[in-house]
Amino acid sequence: MPSWSSFQPFIPIGLALGGVYALSGVGMVVLYRATGVLNLAYGAIGALGAMIAWSLINHAGFPSGWAYALAVLIGGFSTLVYGAVFGPLLAPRDPLVKAVATLGFALILLGMMTWLWSNSAGIARTITFPTDNSGFNVGQVTVSWTQVIAFGFGLATAIGATVFLRFTKLGTAMRALADDREITATLGVPVRRVEAAAWFASGLIAGATGLLLADLDTLDPTTLTFLVIFTVAAALIARLRSVTLTFVAAVVIGLVDNLVTPINSITSYRDMTPFVLAIVALLFFARGRQYSFARGGIR
Amino acid sequence: MRKHFGWRVRIPVALLVVAVGLTIVTSSFGNTTRHAARTAAALNCGAGTGQKATGTPIPLGAIVTNQPGTSFTDITSMAQAYFTCVNDNGGINGHPIQYTVLQEQTQAPQVAAEANQLINTDHVVGIVGNTSIIDCAVNGATYAKAGFNLIDAGIASQCYASPWSATVNMGPRYSGDGAAQAAILHGAKTIVVDQSNVPGYQSNAAGIVLIGKQHHVKIVQLAANAASINGETEAERIVQAAGPHGAADLIFTPPVALQILQGAQKLNLINKVIWTCATPCNTDFLAKALGPAWNHKLFVNAEMNEVRDDNGPDTKLYLSVLKNYGQAVSGGIGSFSQFGFVVGQLTVQALMSIKNNTYTVQTVNAAIRGLKGFKTDMLCKPWYYGNAPVHLPNNTDYTVWPANGVMHIVPGSGCLPIDPVDPVVAQVRAIEKKQGL
Amino acid sequence: MEASGVLTRLGSSMRLSRGDRIQVAVIAALLVFALLGLPQLLSLYWIDIFTTAAIFAIASLGLGLLVGRVGMISLGQVAVLALGAWVGAKLCFSTSLPYPIVLLLSGVITMLLGTLIGLPALRVSGLYLALVTLMLAGAINVVLTQINFPNGGKGFLGFDELYPGSIRRPSIAVSDPSFFRYTVIVALLMFALALWHLRSKPGRAWAAIRQSEPAALTAGVNVTLYKMWAFALASFVTGVAGALFGSSSLKLYNYEFPTQQSIVLFAVVLMGGIYTLWGAIIAGALLWILPALFTIWGINAEIPTILFGIGVLQVLTTAPAGIAYQFPHDMMRLGKLLYRLIRRPAATAGST
Repeated sequence: MPSWSSFQPFIPIGLALGGVYALSGVGMVVLYRATGVLNLAYGAIGALGAMIAWSLINHAGFPSGWAYALAVLIGGFSTLVYGAVFGPLLAPRDPLVKAVATLGFALILLGMMTWLWSNSAGIARTITFPTDNSGFNVGQVTVSWTQVIAFGFGLATAIGATVFLRFTKLGTAMRALADDREITATLGVPVRRVEAAAWFASGLIAGATGLLLADLDTLDPTTLTFLVIFTVAAALIARLRSVTLTFVAAVVIGLVDNLVTPINSITSYRDMTPFVLAIVALLFFARGRQYSFARGGIR
Repeated sequence: MRKHFGWRVRIPVALLVVAVGLTIVTSSFGNTTRHAARTAAALNCGAGTGQKATGTPIPLGAIVTNQPGTSFTDITSMAQAYFTCVNDNGGINGHPIQYTVLQEQTQAPQVAAEANQLINTDHVVGIVGNTSIIDCAVNGATYAKAGFNLIDAGIASQCYASPWSATVNMGPRYSGDGAAQAAILHGAKTIVVDQSNVPGYQSNAAGIVLIGKQHHVKIVQLAANAASINGETEAERIVQAAGPHGAADLIFTPPVALQILQGAQKLNLINKVIWTCATPCNTDFLAKALGPAWNHKLFVNAEMNEVRDDNGPDTKLYLSVLKNYGQAVSGGIGSFSQFGFVVGQLTVQALMSIKNNTYTVQTVNAAIRGLKGFKTDMLCKPWYYGNAPVHLPNNTDYTVWPANGVMHIVPGSGCLPIDPVDPVVAQVRAIEKKQGL
Repeated sequence: MEASGVLTRLGSSMRLSRGDRIQVAVIAALLVFALLGLPQLLSLYWIDIFTTAAIFAIASLGLGLLVGRVGMISLGQVAVLALGAWVGAKLCFSTSLPYPIVLLLSGVITMLLGTLIGLPALRVSGLYLALVTLMLAGAINVVLTQINFPNGGKGFLGFDELYPGSIRRPSIAVSDPSFFRYTVIVALLMFALALWHLRSKPGRAWAAIRQSEPAALTAGVNVTLYKMWAFALASFVTGVAGALFGSSSLKLYNYEFPTQQSIVLFAVVLMGGIYTLWGAIIAGALLWILPALFTIWGINAEIPTILFGIGVLQVLTTAPAGIAYQFPHDMMRLGKLLYRLIRRPAATAGST
């Protein structure tokens, strides 16, 4: 068993990544609660924003701040467009159908990105923040400001979302939508507008997630697209309901995934972490009638 | 849904099926693979006549991996660029080269099918420039049986340990050896070999283990899934495994290597170990992305020379072909396009040596096998094919490091022969001595 | 007496109406063409591609049954295919059993493995089942990356990094064209197996479950058993397909079974059509013949991915029964249009 000093350096990495998974997890859960859509294209949308930002910085000479802001906005708008077109079209359908539709969207985005930004092995694309190489030391461990920001963002979004859902009019409307769309509509709540707000906000979060993961992990469309699995795992542990639980679950996932690294006997299986945790969450928490839908399949 | 479809349905359906079927069948019989468009300029390629070649084309083929995360198309694109230049300058005795490149996504049936397409449908007379993770393993028997001698940029061990393939590069195993040797030269007592777990990766570190034994250096082997790697995590993992007086030997494609190196930088680990890397790191993109913090801190085993430190004719020609014909070469200056260029030069040299304008599978592949003493300022030693059960003509190469955004040859390093404690290297050196290659 | 009783029951469970007889005739004609005509007409490239398309048609059959007949979405069928390939390769190297037995055993062992692994997942349905299968596929892929596929080495895992061997083929079908014929026949048998299920009790139970699970329960249908049965059948045929896949390409790599491929497989099955067995054939063609055409034409290999994504969205929003249903209807409308265009000039010509 490795010593404590071997584990230590992986803690800030784990917390930072966990914070980003929490950030996107919150976006995903809020969207699900408001629209019933589990957006599996979340990673792809973030990747799109990050790739466009990279191109703007490296090929069009944009200052990075503007490019990053644009990336976040692109995340918001592309999600909004998807939601505006496919939201109403699929609204009466099963959550399964809505999620599968986002998979289709993810495939489209993924294909487009790998086509437009091909990976001829000479090109190494990166997104870097000025805070990447400045940080401070906690004992033997170096912590960069980017890691602090990533964790902070996740925490702030989780708190902000909780406050928003509970105390604001729009947030309450979203919670009402989650409970029953039809009744909420009859109560005079502008359902379409509330949903649009949910789509847009979650899209902004997706864009921010994409940038942070591109910095902390890698700027590669396929990798970023499939990192959504971590987010889904966290959201599932929180039963797609609680924002707080999503945050905690995401941070735990990030920590566990990284802390396993120095344990030589299982480190090669480290990639299984999100899958295993998600399966456990699904099977353990998904007992009970509410997770069984009366009409299964594609209808 | 059981429906009775009347003739109103059947006719259009039949028409469509026939149309698609005709396409497939005709492409079975004809050479229908599309070829790249050309641009014209007068350069010293091939015969250097400045006249466009208009005779019957000489069909050549290649298979290259191009999938998300791993793409070697720069190599074949550069070879294509060179061939286009040659075609614009008289071709091969007036015959233009027709280069068919088929891309694959590491699916064995697809790779096997593509070899069949090249050999049986496109009727290529030579296969040059292959760069694929599994092609040598999957199609080796096919190539041997059909009598092809490949000039490729090999990755899998089968590309080296076979009589039907000779590479312009060294591949991950021997380049990793070279990086390890550089680490030992600079005082490493432990070397951590980390690589991407692509098919066939397991044998890549075997040579490094032998070198370590010989020099009393401890070798630690790690592997990671390139698609899900986190740079900081991996860098930390490597440094922890290396310990004091440790070195890292990275065998990854440039984007992944960059992640790890940048991760090391973020965690202040640049000076904790001696960082070395196999050839893929030898690219300007990487040098630029690493920035000044990495100046002189990364030793890269470079299978080809450094174009900025060299003023030789081949290097000059490479740069101008890249500039005028290399629009499809997205990585620009670097090992990959250099491989493609050398593949092109060797192929043209072989083709030019054929008399009587007969370009068949037999004549072309015999000419390739007969290549020897090919001097180019891109390689340390002359390249050769020869009659041998194994091939490693590029077994002595350079060491480079990043300096202010570009790669330069490490001053005073010269050409580094790969350690013959790695068995194939010894075997090849013996064959070279015996056959005077 | 007993034999005739069995046959009568078999015959009555497969009552053939006129439409059915036409379909059987069409299938027979296509079969003869595939077995005799295609190997003559196609180049080796296309034979290899068609073989793989047929193999994936079998895998699509399994997934189509799950999705279309029972309403269970599995986003991890390519992992099941990998399991089948692993088992098939292991049997080929470690035993000298005749090839049909290897196929059968691969199917059975994959069926057992698939059902065992999938058993806990059967408790959930809908979205959660889909996600569980996706996660399982990811986990299996990581394990496969570590243990690799058997290639003639020693030990249980049978992986030799230095001297990889080739997976054997049936002794009567070693060449590519003959292996293609062999695959087509195996595919036919798998489709017949599926059809037999659909026409008898399991098929009716599945239809009831798809219609409404609580209603089926009330009607006395053992829902869990029949769900398991569907899963088992799908795993069986996918296992057989996996074994064929290994023999087809002679070498196996974990790179051939990424998690993304499971999603793409689901996409093409959806596009092909989940309510008819023809959809599985269309799915196999979409997955292998279309990209092969693109490779020959020099079109970027990412375009199919985009098309499949669009296909998924299209199927879900407008054409839930997929190409197999939509296409004949579109063709019917095209046919009517052509008919009208041809008739009108004739009519005006006649009237002058």
